[in-house]
Amino acid sequence: MSLLSVRDVHSGYGDMQILHGVDLDVNAEEVVTIIGPNGAGKSTLMKTIFGLLRLTRGQIEFEGREISGLSADRIVRLGLAYVPQVDNVFPSLTVRENLELGAFVDRHAPRRRVDRVYELFPALRPRQTKRVGTMSGGERQMVAMGRALMLDPKLLMLDEPSAALAPNLAATIFDRISAVNQGGTAVLIVEQNAKESLRRSHRGYVLAAGRKCFEDEGPAILANEDIGRLYLGGA
Amino acid sequence: METLARIPQLLVYGVVSGSILSLGGIGVSLTYSVLGFSNFAHGDIMALGAYLALALLPAASALGISGRPLGALSFGADFVGALLLAVVATCAVVLTLDRILFRRLRNAGRITLMIASVGVALGLRSLIQFCWGPQPQYYSAKIQRAQVIPGLGVKIKPDQIFIVATAIGLTLLLHLFLRHTRIGKAMRATADNAALARVTGINAERVIVWTWILGASLAAVAGILIGIENKFIMPELGWQLLLPIFAAVILGGLGNAYGAMVGGVVIGVCEEVSTAFLSTAYKPAVAFVILILMLLVRPTGILGRRG
Repeated sequence: MSLLSVRDVHSGYGDMQILHGVDLDVNAEEVVTIIGPNGAGKSTLMKTIFGLLRLTRGQIEFEGREISGLSADRIVRLGLAYVPQVDNVFPSLTVRENLELGAFVDRHAPRRRVDRVYELFPALRPRQTKRVGTMSGGERQMVAMGRALMLDPKLLMLDEPSAALAPNLAATIFDRISAVNQGGTAVLIVEQNAKESLRRSHRGYVLAAGRKCFEDEGPAILANEDIGRLYLGGA
Repeated sequence: METLARIPQLLVYGVVSGSILSLGGIGVSLTYSVLGFSNFAHGDIMALGAYLALALLPAASALGISGRPLGALSFGADFVGALLLAVVATCAVVLTLDRILFRRLRNAGRITLMIASVGVALGLRSLIQFCWGPQPQYYSAKIQRAQVIPGLGVKIKPDQIFIVATAIGLTLLLHLFLRHTRIGKAMRATADNAALARVTGINAERVIVWTWILGASLAAVAGILIGIENKFIMPELGWQLLLPIFAAVILGGLGNAYGAMVGGVVIGVCEEVSTAFLSTAYKPAVAFVILILMLLVRPTGILGRRG
């Protein structure tokens, strides 16, 4: 049984249908990347899984349990965490406050969870009393991921974690994603920096026009010439 | 020269009225930042609190609280008891209004919510007139002598010291609440980024209930403090304060509770000091002028975020 199972998902914004029947699986402890052109529905899929957009048809199951229609706090409690692409931090709050809020649904969450995030992102520890709004893009991305990791999720969903980051920072973020995965957390990534992401993924999906059009192991997708030409910006 | 000599005394009056405006402004600011609309009923919620304190005074006496004046103050412990009862009652009214009205409009957009709040404002004011009549109701008939502050040459009444101390105390309490409690942090997070707060699992409805409780409590206290300062209250009390309160909130930076505190004192002081040069009839105009100047020069307010 897969950790996350998405079957025949249709959804969109109001009357505008974006997803026209998407199937996707994420197994426990797996890294999965979704690539595809702009407007293919990658972010829409993320939002639909997290219950932010209404499912018009299909099923979404997490550990064999239907989660569509659940409120976001219930979904968080089940072990899903989601980092949106933009506006993924609380800018007027401090680093520490951002992280603490990641554990909001569990008032008994041990305080040392914050320390574990600092171990993963050592750059954040000396800046923990700084307001996140004053920090750089890379640091914000670390705060955003740290917040999502506070409750030790079974599945971490990241929407374009390396967007707008300098290449060396993007590499750091991908290193950290691998480290999180080695700790046993499954990761579902939507990426534009698809090559780097696929290289580090167990499997990948190509999404186009709101439908899944290809699925394979990460490195195999990278090696596929047609996909390379169509979606990865040439050879 | 005589005009300038009056200014220190006017500063004192300004701080007194400004601290009341601050308490009112904080509520407007909290509602705006968490619920996303300008609550035009806030002034009338203040008036409701002021009337409820008067109405609940017999209840406080019935509880056996002494009515003997507290020190040099014009009121006794029973009035402080009535104040606390009025705060609870005002919260109950406001939470009921949220349940039956604002909650249904949660996703209706800020203009709809704002217009609804104008309706609530008119409703509350009419209700107050219906229950207590249009004529002023007196808090206290006693004349209180102002005392000279040694060395500064300005006078202040014990009641006014109580007003300023209450405002400072409540502002500090609110600050501690927003900084250090779980729900306070959740409120600030929701004000910052409501969508992310939802994704984080913060229960928006609980945050909204707490926002109303804080806003209504501070409004009720502010209304009661006006009664203490003016000695009487009228149904239009809240409506008349709405302009200076909004001026204070915008001056400080809309949606920033700390800005509202600063803005309130600035507006209060400017209004009072202006009376040294202008007729008191222009007081409301002073708030308006400051508001317009601020919107022209720095629309985000003193402590507001840019962009």
